[in-house]
Amino acid sequence: MPMLDIKNLTLEIDTPVGWVKALDRINLTLEKGEVRALVGESGSGKSLIVRAIVGSVPDNWRLTADRLSWKGESLLSMNAEQRRKIMRKEIAVVFQNPQASLDPSATLGDQLEESIPAHLLAGKWFWQRNAERKALASKVLHKVGIKDHQDCLQKFPHEVARDVNHKMMIAMALVSEPELLIADDPTRGMEATTKVQLLKLLTRMNQTKELSILFISHDLLAISSMANTMTVLYCGQTVESGKMKQLRKRPLHPYTKALLDSAPSFRKELPVKSDLSALDGTIPTLQHLPIGCRLGPRCPRAQKECVKVPAVRRIHEHYYSCHYPLHRDKL
Amino acid sequence: MIRYALRYLNLMVLTLLVLSVVSFALAYWFPGDPLTNLSGIQEATPQTERFLAEKYATEHNLFVQYWHYMQLVFSGDWGVSFSSGLPLYDEITLALPATLELCAYAFLLSLIVGIPLGFIAGLKHYTGTDYTVLSLSVFSYSIPAFWLALILILIFCLQLGWLPLSGRINLLFDVPHQTGFIVIDILLSDIQNKSAALNDAFRHLVLPTISIALINTAITVRLARRSIIDVMSKGYIIAARSRGLTNNQILWKHGVRNTLLPILPLIAAQITTLITNAMVIETIFSWPGIGNWLIQAIYQRDYPAIRAGMLAVSSFVVILTVSIELITRLLDPTRDKNERGTI
Repeated sequence: MPMLDIKNLTLEIDTPVGWVKALDRINLTLEKGEVRALVGESGSGKSLIVRAIVGSVPDNWRLTADRLSWKGESLLSMNAEQRRKIMRKEIAVVFQNPQASLDPSATLGDQLEESIPAHLLAGKWFWQRNAERKALASKVLHKVGIKDHQDCLQKFPHEVARDVNHKMMIAMALVSEPELLIADDPTRGMEATTKVQLLKLLTRMNQTKELSILFISHDLLAISSMANTMTVLYCGQTVESGKMKQLRKRPLHPYTKALLDSAPSFRKELPVKSDLSALDGTIPTLQHLPIGCRLGPRCPRAQKECVKVPAVRRIHEHYYSCHYPLHRDKL
Repeated sequence: MIRYALRYLNLMVLTLLVLSVVSFALAYWFPGDPLTNLSGIQEATPQTERFLAEKYATEHNLFVQYWHYMQLVFSGDWGVSFSSGLPLYDEITLALPATLELCAYAFLLSLIVGIPLGFIAGLKHYTGTDYTVLSLSVFSYSIPAFWLALILILIFCLQLGWLPLSGRINLLFDVPHQTGFIVIDILLSDIQNKSAALNDAFRHLVLPTISIALINTAITVRLARRSIIDVMSKGYIIAARSRGLTNNQILWKHGVRNTLLPILPLIAAQITTLITNAMVIETIFSWPGIGNWLIQAIYQRDYPAIRAGMLAVSSFVVILTVSIELITRLLDPTRDKNERGTI
């Protein structure tokens, strides 16, 4: 049984033009110890999935799913207290914007120590537990690559550089020793060496502690080295998911292919001043979602039938939703 | 830190300078002889007139006069009142604390009632509770303070007879003047029937405090509600929730501080409105405060009193406002935010 199992997750947002399906029947599963990449361009709803899993859905959003379960227990039907406990012990999240996700009026140390769950502390008295918290905090800071932990812990978020905040967020997620780490674009804006360090750290955690990771990013190069499986998202619909290797070697959905092709290439034989490979047009806004397959208007292979939502098809472990996938010849 | 302190000090000194110039100019702008307006001594004998002319340096130019005037102001010689003939400094130091006492209680009341109400409304926003609190606050914000005072008097003093109509304390109690705050004075004094006096003072305080505090409470409720709604939808609250903190932990560790920090200066800025309202309310309740005193001075064309009272009240307000600004600035770690360079 998969650890995290999401089936037909639909998230509707109440806008002035009526209810809009920001996420349309998303499927996503995550086994224990698996690293799954969730890719898609900005505005494809990656962060909305995070919010749906975390459970911070505002009142004017409507969340429905056939399944949204954690270790076999439905996250949707359990009460707030049970869900809170799971979030405290088993799931940790690194949010996209570290600057906004840190309390501006509390020191980094306070916030880091606050994210240590009580079950990791053995001390009986509060001073023993405080000392343990301090030790744990500095240990995890060294792990994420902050050397001067003493200085850093006393600072407010606005007093340190943005990438330190970013590392702080990652430290806050890792310090609770979760089973699942949801990392929403954790390498964004990081310099190359730090990025490599972070990816190595996550890989090591995955190998030694069986940490499952849902790695959300649009940085395909960073992801492909560490992820086992990949789910591709376009405009709130899952277009394709499967083993990373297979997907890279032989994508079945036109969007996946476009996404893979759009990664900058440094081939020698590249003609001078040739165009970058990209799909025409831009991702539609929430108010102007096309019916049927949402890629339709931009898809090079689109046909009349694409105004209907394609069903999920499967070849072994490889799922895709497309009427005219790439392995079939053009009609 | 020191830079901010200096900047605010600079602001305060300049504003006070302008105020003192205006108060000095008032002596010339008011009808009558400037010397009389400055000193407050009418129908002086030629001898005293010469003495006063020397004291205020009237034969010198205006700058020298202003210099002499400022020296007298700082030494506590503010002239005497036309109507009572008493030194203005003594009169004002008697009247001003009475107003401050009233304002302090009203301000405290508005905070104690307003902030929790605003929090409750904001945490349950767009529900029945929220709408009730909001409409109550709009309602109380729309009531003019003086009208409310009259209605309260009508109901609680004249109809029901529960509370005293006017004054600060029953004349039976002879409380010696020490701090000017009646409650503290009673506690410090060694009069008989201390508890009876205290009880009486509180009964006198109830109605004026409520009539002043109501508008401020309404404003505080709205500020606190708006602010907590903003804060509770911020990214760090979502992040805190994702870390599995309980609602109470989120509210107390991250919510309250971030809600109060931005509205503290706004709430503090309401103190000036409060003092203005207090001055009106004092007249209605015959509270022996500075507002009542100033209005009497205006009725009686007591020019030295108007000049000195205006200077005292406005200096006080300026000093208070600037110090509150400075304190909130020092308290708030996020205020001196310079964008840090990123690597």
